Amino acid sequence: MEEIVNQNGAVTEQLDAATDAEIDMRLVRENHRSETVGEMTVDDPRMICRNVDVYYGDKQAIFNVSLDIGKNQVIAMIGPSGCGKSTFLRCLNRMNDTIDICRVTGVIKMDNQDIYDSRLDVVSLRASVGMVFQKPNPFPKSIFDNVAYGPRIHGLSDSDTHLNEIIERSLHKAGLWDEVKDRLDQPGTGLSGGQQQRLCIARAIAVSPEVILMDEPCSALDPIATAKIEELIDELRENYTIAIVTHSMQQAARVSQRTAYFHLGKLIEVGETDQIFTAPRHKLTEDYITGRFG
Amino acid sequence: MNEITGRHIVKAYNEELDKINQLVVELGELGLDQLRRAVQTLKDEDIKQAGLVIDRDRELNNIDVKAAEEIIRLIAKRQPVARDLRDILTVQKVITDLERVGDEARKIANLTIHFYDNGKTPPGNEILRDIYDMAEFVDGMLSMSLQAFTELDLTTAVDVIKLADRLDEEFRSALRRLSTFIMEDSRSVGQVVDIVLALRALERIGGHGKNIGGHVIFLVTGKDVRHEDLKVINAEVASLV
Repeated sequence: MEEIVNQNGAVTEQLDAATDAEIDMRLVRENHRSETVGEMTVDDPRMICRNVDVYYGDKQAIFNVSLDIGKNQVIAMIGPSGCGKSTFLRCLNRMNDTIDICRVTGVIKMDNQDIYDSRLDVVSLRASVGMVFQKPNPFPKSIFDNVAYGPRIHGLSDSDTHLNEIIERSLHKAGLWDEVKDRLDQPGTGLSGGQQQRLCIARAIAVSPEVILMDEPCSALDPIATAKIEELIDELRENYTIAIVTHSMQQAARVSQRTAYFHLGKLIEVGETDQIFTAPRHKLTEDYITGRFG
Repeated sequence: MNEITGRHIVKAYNEELDKINQLVVELGELGLDQLRRAVQTLKDEDIKQAGLVIDRDRELNNIDVKAAEEIIRLIAKRQPVARDLRDILTVQKVITDLERVGDEARKIANLTIHFYDNGKTPPGNEILRDIYDMAEFVDGMLSMSLQAFTELDLTTAVDVIKLADRLDEEFRSALRRLSTFIMEDSRSVGQVVDIVLALRALERIGGHGKNIGGHVIFLVTGKDVRHEDLKVINAEVASLV
């Protein structure tokens, strides 16, 4: 059983018993079985996924996926509809827990802590690993309350002044402050689609996450709003780790540093985005990104 | 349609890629024909045909411009990636090389006019021999490079690159031989300089053939080997063939 010393100097039992060495061994075994082409590990991972299988009832949706999510990097997950990329993304903050018949096996660790450990507080995990969805989904509340919601329920602010600071900082980081600073009391649902999506990003940022998951965040937006979100993703990378699922090849190429290609629940290829879009190594990847799939 | 251009879900994309690849084939055939005709005008001392070769260079330039237009349209419309992107970049580069083959062939046709127009004293066959030998050599190189492109044949592409070393030797040995003419009769300096310029033009055609070989390797493998030595290129290709 591995032990770690927390910031207060107290020795605490680590939630997951698997050491890095054990995970590495699993990876070695996995490499023999996996069909994944490319380097699934990175030097500085924020999240480590090993041998992840996902089942919906009897049906297996994800097969033996091992992948690192690198710190302060954007990783794009691409693949045809039904390939499992969104399912895999939702494993990263246990969003699949909300589906009764869904079962996840394997290891997913964030900062060396197994996020599927039964003793882990899922609510705080989802604060650390925030999520932005395809369709902007602001609460039917004011712009201010939308962003204040997370800090309030997680008790992150000790005063109104502090809360105001969090709101302003989050809206600034989401590139929305200048557009809404004079109407914070107006409903979030009254904003344009692109603004609503940036409001959702501000809402995710407000609880100081380490990782932001984005599931097709631009598919409901026009090209200008999309460009703003893409610019924002690039800026956010400095402080956050981002995993994005997208159907747009060009978006994956533009915003990410690494790209993972999923096909029928398997991770087929992962690599530097530049390499994937100029000289992919797997034929399935090439056929998909060049529009030959089908 | 080949394995590079075909099988897109959007069939028009296949056709557009086929179209630019077809322009390479067309320009390649024209370039090769220009080379052959230009050298033949020298053999036949035919200034009229030489003039036609020079005029025909416009056809090559037109294909060059047409290909550039098609490529710009294709990039804007399809945002190509992976092998499609490599195909388009390769076509652009091969077209540039072939257009320059045409320019070099025109220089040789110009030499025919220079030698045989206005009743000047033309050079003897002995002094022209190197041009014919070298023309045959670079004709082979260019043909091989075009075959490598149309068949996506890495082995042939490497063979063309290998031949570039021999081309260099042939060029140097021709220079040495031609210098003996000057030593024997200094009045032949003018003719020898003209012939050296023609040899230089032929050497450049061989160089363009070598370039095309490199472009084909990039197209098929994604590796840019243009500035690598032969050992590295061989190793790269051997791992794939």
